[in-house]
Amino acid sequence: MENTDLTAEKNFDLKSFFFQWEWVLVLILIIVNFINTYLSPYYLNTYTLLDATMTFLDKAFIVLPMTFVIIFGDIDISVGSTVALSSVVMAVAYNLGMPMSLAIIICLLVGTVCGMINGLLIVKFKELSAVIVTLSTMTLYRGIAYTILEDQAAGGFPEWFTFPGWGYVKGIPFILIVFTIFAIIFALLLHRTTFGRQVYAIGNNAVASRYSGVQVNKIKFIVFTLAGFMSAIAALFLTSRMGSTRPNVALGYELDVIAMVVLGGVSTSGGKGRIIGTILSIFIVGYLRYGLGLINVPAQVILIIIGLLLIFAVMVPNLEKYFKRKKTKKAF
Amino acid sequence: MSEYILELKGVTKTFPGVKALDDVHFQLKSGEIHALMGENGAGKSTFIKIITGVHQPDEGEIYLNGQKVDINNPRDAQKLGIAAIYQHVTCYPDLSVTENIFMGHEKIKKGTNRLLWNEMHSEAQKLLDELGATFDPKTRMGELSVAQQQIVEIAKALSTNAKIIIMDEPTASLTKSESEELYRITEKLRNNGTSIIFISHRLEDMYRLANRVTVFRDSKYIGTWEVNEISNEELIVAMVGREITQMFPKKEAKIGEEILRVEKLGKIGFFKDISFTLHKGEILGLTGLVGSGRTEVCQAIFGITSPDEGKIIFEGKEVKIDHPLQAMNLGIGYLPEDRQKQGLVLEWSIEKNITLPALDKVSHKGWLDKEKEVEIAQALAKKVNVKAKSIYDLANSLSGGNQQKVVVAKLLTADLKVIIVDEPTKGVDVGAKSAILEIMSDLASQGYGIIMVSSEMPEVLGMSDRIIVMREGRITAQLSREEASQEIILEAAMTKKRSVNTA
Repeated sequence: MENTDLTAEKNFDLKSFFFQWEWVLVLILIIVNFINTYLSPYYLNTYTLLDATMTFLDKAFIVLPMTFVIIFGDIDISVGSTVALSSVVMAVAYNLGMPMSLAIIICLLVGTVCGMINGLLIVKFKELSAVIVTLSTMTLYRGIAYTILEDQAAGGFPEWFTFPGWGYVKGIPFILIVFTIFAIIFALLLHRTTFGRQVYAIGNNAVASRYSGVQVNKIKFIVFTLAGFMSAIAALFLTSRMGSTRPNVALGYELDVIAMVVLGGVSTSGGKGRIIGTILSIFIVGYLRYGLGLINVPAQVILIIIGLLLIFAVMVPNLEKYFKRKKTKKAF
Repeated sequence: MSEYILELKGVTKTFPGVKALDDVHFQLKSGEIHALMGENGAGKSTFIKIITGVHQPDEGEIYLNGQKVDINNPRDAQKLGIAAIYQHVTCYPDLSVTENIFMGHEKIKKGTNRLLWNEMHSEAQKLLDELGATFDPKTRMGELSVAQQQIVEIAKALSTNAKIIIMDEPTASLTKSESEELYRITEKLRNNGTSIIFISHRLEDMYRLANRVTVFRDSKYIGTWEVNEISNEELIVAMVGREITQMFPKKEAKIGEEILRVEKLGKIGFFKDISFTLHKGEILGLTGLVGSGRTEVCQAIFGITSPDEGKIIFEGKEVKIDHPLQAMNLGIGYLPEDRQKQGLVLEWSIEKNITLPALDKVSHKGWLDKEKEVEIAQALAKKVNVKAKSIYDLANSLSGGNQQKVVVAKLLTADLKVIIVDEPTKGVDVGAKSAILEIMSDLASQGYGIIMVSSEMPEVLGMSDRIIVMREGRITAQLSREEASQEIILEAAMTKKRSVNTA
């Protein structure tokens, strides 16, 4: 009765290996750097390439948990406001006389609690989609930040707090080192653990996951909490780099972050995508902005270019499907 | 003009991995009611989809009134006067009856494209009057009963001037009196010259209505008979292809001690006063019409929903089950009714599907152990005899029967004591069906307690040690294997009777 034909062999197909989205991203990244080198003689050297990362890696911390959120098929648009609120509370706490280390812990706590509130609302009120919940909390968190600080800036941090945003360790930007560590942790979490497997399962079929004993609510709650925590990490680096903070910092971060995740090949309908893709797209968008900034391309034009890139990213999987369908139609 | 209004010759349709129709013939006379019968997975649904243009045949020809036609999409079918009414009504519950009837072919004023509401309402009223319906066309569709919704679907078919109407198991979720009403309407349609293909599992539907019957089996055309010229036994042999007793590989199992007991379980709006016991080695058949609350009871035991009242006693201890994980940790497994929506991650490989409920077994402290995963998945896939090239094949590339085997394999990853299977052989071909039933029988003889929810009478009678019948959320009969018969079960499932308590 046993079926002996059933193998455990993977069909390694060279063609489909190279037709992965990540290779397209590698190609785009190379092209972007090529163009940058061509446009500016000051671009291509290790120092510039490393230094540039300091200008864009703060958002990248949020890209990591956002990858998980979008794999669920959900979205979190409150992350920008979470950054602002945790940053503002940290500054106010410090200015009230607390030691900086305590202020930093408070910053991380505020971000985490913001994420927990999102998670709780999404899990408890099934009829509310994540977009609606985080749209509300986006306004809420930003509103609280404005109430605390009104339209003023707060800063005056101790000298050593410039280190996260501006410091180097053995010639490598500190932020790049920290980001690399977090990126590895998130990549392992998503691709090598049972937790990551369950994240994919929920994104593909939440009902079947529940029937298979996956604790859907718990996992969603953890991921949204992580998104809040990582937003607070981003707030630390951003505040450190700017030296002071205002309630309107990190405006529009959520869109940048979501754009990077989508460009990284994570499907908004859930269940697909890899961390490596989103990491590549962080560097694509980052270097593109930096390079075009070097030759004084206006910020608005940069936005147009990134928009086009994004349309391309969303279109490609559909083009692939379109061609496949055409092919199968012919075959019959 | 041909004798046949619709004729299919040598139609073949292949999907990746399965031949859904193999050289099928069919002839529909003008103005007849033609029953189409066959087991689940015999190819009936594919056949309908070919006629209604959802799928195109790989080979074969379709003739309409003797003319060869190509039906490339559902719109073509509509233009040719072909309409289908499905078992699960595909309506827009928040729109009115009129809007549902005219969906896709609204009456509009030329030039301004304004919707002609008054014309549509009065036309809808006329159609409903013809069919003897008493509800208003402005009623919201969702407020109607399933039977009334079916009448709307029929009105919709008539509004497109359909000459051929296909009814796919229309009586499956109707009560007896509602079925009578549907018979009356169907006959009326025939008398008005419409030709009808009537698909049903119920033999009584066929005897009551049809002039001729065509049988499919294993994707093949078996034959066409005049209804009054074929006996019940001959028809069953035609459908099943062998003696029916062989279908059910029931082994004698030693029935052991009690393992699960529910007492007075109730959930408002779904079921009430549900009490029964399950023993080791026993297969307990749970049957009743669709919507009688069978699935809801099982889902409450498995922790998908929580009951409002009553107790669940597992191995002598009262337990509270709020999440499937708790049920699985206790040793209760559930094979859901809808394998595509509830059972599988279709875009995942066989191997990842199998290990999903048992991730802690293929990992150390949360880290996945891929080698172990492959080992366990391959062993289980072989055990249930999944037909595929590799365990990395995607679940959606498998046939219904093999998909179901994968869902069964998922159950076997856990150390279970009680297995609840909900319509285990629905939409599964004959071969896979007996394989799945054989696995169940094996499990019972190994001492598992099994609750089998099923609508298929022969399956319930053939496999169960005891049978519980439900009707409108209550238990109406508890029968032993010896005392159960089709008639007694049907009576308990369809007619009002006082609830019987557990012995």
